[in-house]
Amino acid sequence: MNRKIILEARDVRYRYPGNREAIKGISFHMRRGEKIALVGPNGAGKSTLLQMFNGMIRPTSGTILFNNEPIQYDSSSLRQLRKKVGYVVQNPDRQIIAPTVYQDVAFGPANLRYDENAIREAVAFALRQVGLVGFERRAPHQLSGGEKKRVAIAGVLAMDPDVLVFDEPTSGLDPSGSEDLMELLDELNHDGKTVIISTHDVELAYPWADRAILLLDGRILEEDVPEVAFGNPDHVRRAHLSVPTLLDLSQELGRRGLAQPERKPRSVLDMVNIIENLLNRSGNKPRSGTITVCDVDTAKNVSLPAWLEARPGLAVGAMGTRAKQRATEERISLEFTYGVIDKCILQALLGHDSLIMTTGSMAGRVAVRVGAYCRESGNSISVVPMGADEQSAPAGTVDAESKEEELSRGNP
Amino acid sequence: MFEELLDGIAQNSSFRHIHPGTKILLGLGSLLICLVSPTPVVPVLSGVVLSLVLLIPARVSPVVYGELLVAPAIFAVMSVVVLLFLLGGGEVIWQFNPVPWINLTITTGSLGQSILVLFRVFGCSVSMFFIVLTTPLTDLFNGMKRIGVPIELIDLMMIIYRYIFIMYAQAFEIWQAQVMRLGYRRPMEAIRSFSMLCGMLFISSWNAGEALVRAMDCRCYDGVFPSLDIPEPVQMRSLIPVLLYLAGLSGILLAMTAGGLK
Repeated sequence: MNRKIILEARDVRYRYPGNREAIKGISFHMRRGEKIALVGPNGAGKSTLLQMFNGMIRPTSGTILFNNEPIQYDSSSLRQLRKKVGYVVQNPDRQIIAPTVYQDVAFGPANLRYDENAIREAVAFALRQVGLVGFERRAPHQLSGGEKKRVAIAGVLAMDPDVLVFDEPTSGLDPSGSEDLMELLDELNHDGKTVIISTHDVELAYPWADRAILLLDGRILEEDVPEVAFGNPDHVRRAHLSVPTLLDLSQELGRRGLAQPERKPRSVLDMVNIIENLLNRSGNKPRSGTITVCDVDTAKNVSLPAWLEARPGLAVGAMGTRAKQRATEERISLEFTYGVIDKCILQALLGHDSLIMTTGSMAGRVAVRVGAYCRESGNSISVVPMGADEQSAPAGTVDAESKEEELSRGNP
Repeated sequence: MFEELLDGIAQNSSFRHIHPGTKILLGLGSLLICLVSPTPVVPVLSGVVLSLVLLIPARVSPVVYGELLVAPAIFAVMSVVVLLFLLGGGEVIWQFNPVPWINLTITTGSLGQSILVLFRVFGCSVSMFFIVLTTPLTDLFNGMKRIGVPIELIDLMMIIYRYIFIMYAQAFEIWQAQVMRLGYRRPMEAIRSFSMLCGMLFISSWNAGEALVRAMDCRCYDGVFPSLDIPEPVQMRSLIPVLLYLAGLSGILLAMTAGGLK
C-alpha cells in the first residue's frame, strides 16, 4: 500500500471575493490508484477544494502539488495539469459544450492538438469505456440524465487523465443509475485511475471509498478509512451526515454484546458473516455454490443464453460496462449489476451457483476478492473460469485461492 | 418542445445517411424552381411530390407533418386575402361597396396572382421542410464549413444551438412555476411575470456563459472546436434521382413558360 503520492494539498486556504473564507487550512494527500470520498454538508468547501486540484481555483495561500511538483498557474502548465487531472462537474449540462456526443468527447483531444486519427481513437476508447458506443451522432438534449453524465465522463477520459475528480457524481440520478455510475468509477479505478469524489451520499461512499474525508466549514473534520471516518457519531452529526446503516447496525449489535465492536462491516456480506458467527452456525453449513466467471472478451463465440438454459435457476451478475452491454445484446436478465462479487459470494454461501460476466481486466478481481473472503471467513468457495467446468472435475473442487493466480495471469 | 422535435425527426429520419449535399440540392433546387415559376402548377407538383417523399420513404408522421404545415398555411392565407383585394388587372369577378368610398374588388388578375402566391408558399415551405426534416443541423454546420463560412461563426452557431435547448428548458420551468402561482391571471400580472422571466433567464444565461468558459478551460480549450465531419459518401442512387427530378421539374417549368400556359 506504499504507492506514490499523486496529489497533495499543503495548508491550502481560499478566500472568495467578498471575504468569505471557504477553505481554512487543509492538508492531505492522495496516493496513485486510491479511491477517496470527500463528504460534507453544503457549503463545507468540497467543490472549492476539488477545483483546486486542476487549477481552476488558485489557493489564496498554501500549495497544491501534483506528482510532488507545486502546480504552476501559467496557461501552458495548467493545460498540462488539466490533461492529467480530469474534472467532471456536477451538472452535465454545464459540461457538455458541443452539439453532438462525438464533438463533445473530441473537445479535449482536439484542443490538445491530437491529429485526426488520434482524436477518433481517443473518442472511440472513451465512449467504449463508458458504454456509449453508437451514440456519436446523438445530440446531448436527447440523452437521459445518466447518459449525459457518461458523456461528461467520456469527455474527460478522452484526454487519458491519471486522476479523475468528480463533483457529486450521483446527483440527479435514480438509485440504479447511481449504482451503475459507482460501478463505472470502480472500473475506472481498476484500470489505474485515481478517483476522488465529493458526495452527500454516505451509503454509496461507505462501501466504495478506500478513504473518506469529512469536511466541515472549510476544515477537515476526520480523515480515515470509511469505517473509522463514519464511525464517530459526533463527527458525523456535526458534518450533517448520517452513520451508514451497516455501521449503525454493527454498533448497535456491539453495544448489546452481540458482536465484536472492532469488527466493522463494509458490506452486506461482512454483516451476514458477523450474524452467522453470532448464531454460531459454522457447524452445519450447506455445500458452497460455485461462481463461474465468464470473460466476455475471450468468450465471444460462446452462446451464453444456451449455456444458461442448460443451468436453470443460475443467478447472473455483470461487472463492467462491456459485460453489461453483452448481457443486453444477448437478452440475459441480470440479477446483480452492483456489488456483484459480494452478491455472488452470498449466493454461494446459500449453496447456489452463479455466473459473473466480466471483462479481462476485472476477471482476476473475482478470484482475488473471493480468495480474500475465504481466507478471512474460513469458508471455501470455488471460482471457475467459464469452460473449465465442462472439461475438468465437477464444480466445487477447484479452490478459489488456487484459481486466483490463473485468472490474474490472464490480465494485462 | 417543437424545435427539439424537428431535430429529433431529422436525427431519426431514414434519409439520415444520405449525403447532406444531395438533400440540400433537392430542397434548395425545388425551392428556387417554385420561386421563379410563373405558373402554380410547378409549385403544386413539387410540393405534393416532396410531401409524399417525406411521408412515405422518409417516414415522417403525417400528423406532425400536417401540424408543421399549419403555420405557413395560416400566414399564406392571411396574406392572400389581402392580395386578392390589393392586386388588379383583368375582369371584375366580385365587387363589394360597404360604404361609397371603399371599393373591394376581386379581378381575374388578382385571383390568378393570389393563387400563384399561395402555391408558391406551399411549394417553398415543403422544400424547406424537406431539408429541416431530413438533415440535422450538425450536418448543415459541416456543409457550411466546407463552403467557406468563417469558422468563428460556425463555432458560435454550434454553441448557440447547444444552449437553445438548455435555455428553453429553463424558460419553460420558470414559466411553469409562475403559472402555478397564477402569475399570468391578469394582463398587468402577465407583463410583470414575463419581465421577471426575462430577467431570470438573463441571469441564468450569464451564469451558464461563465460555466461554459470554465468547462472549456477544464478541457484544455485552445481555440479548437472539433467537428463531426465523417461525411456520408455521395451515393449515385440518391443523387441521380434528385438530378432527374430537378431536371424534370425545370423541364415542366420551361415547357409551360414557353407554351405561354398560366
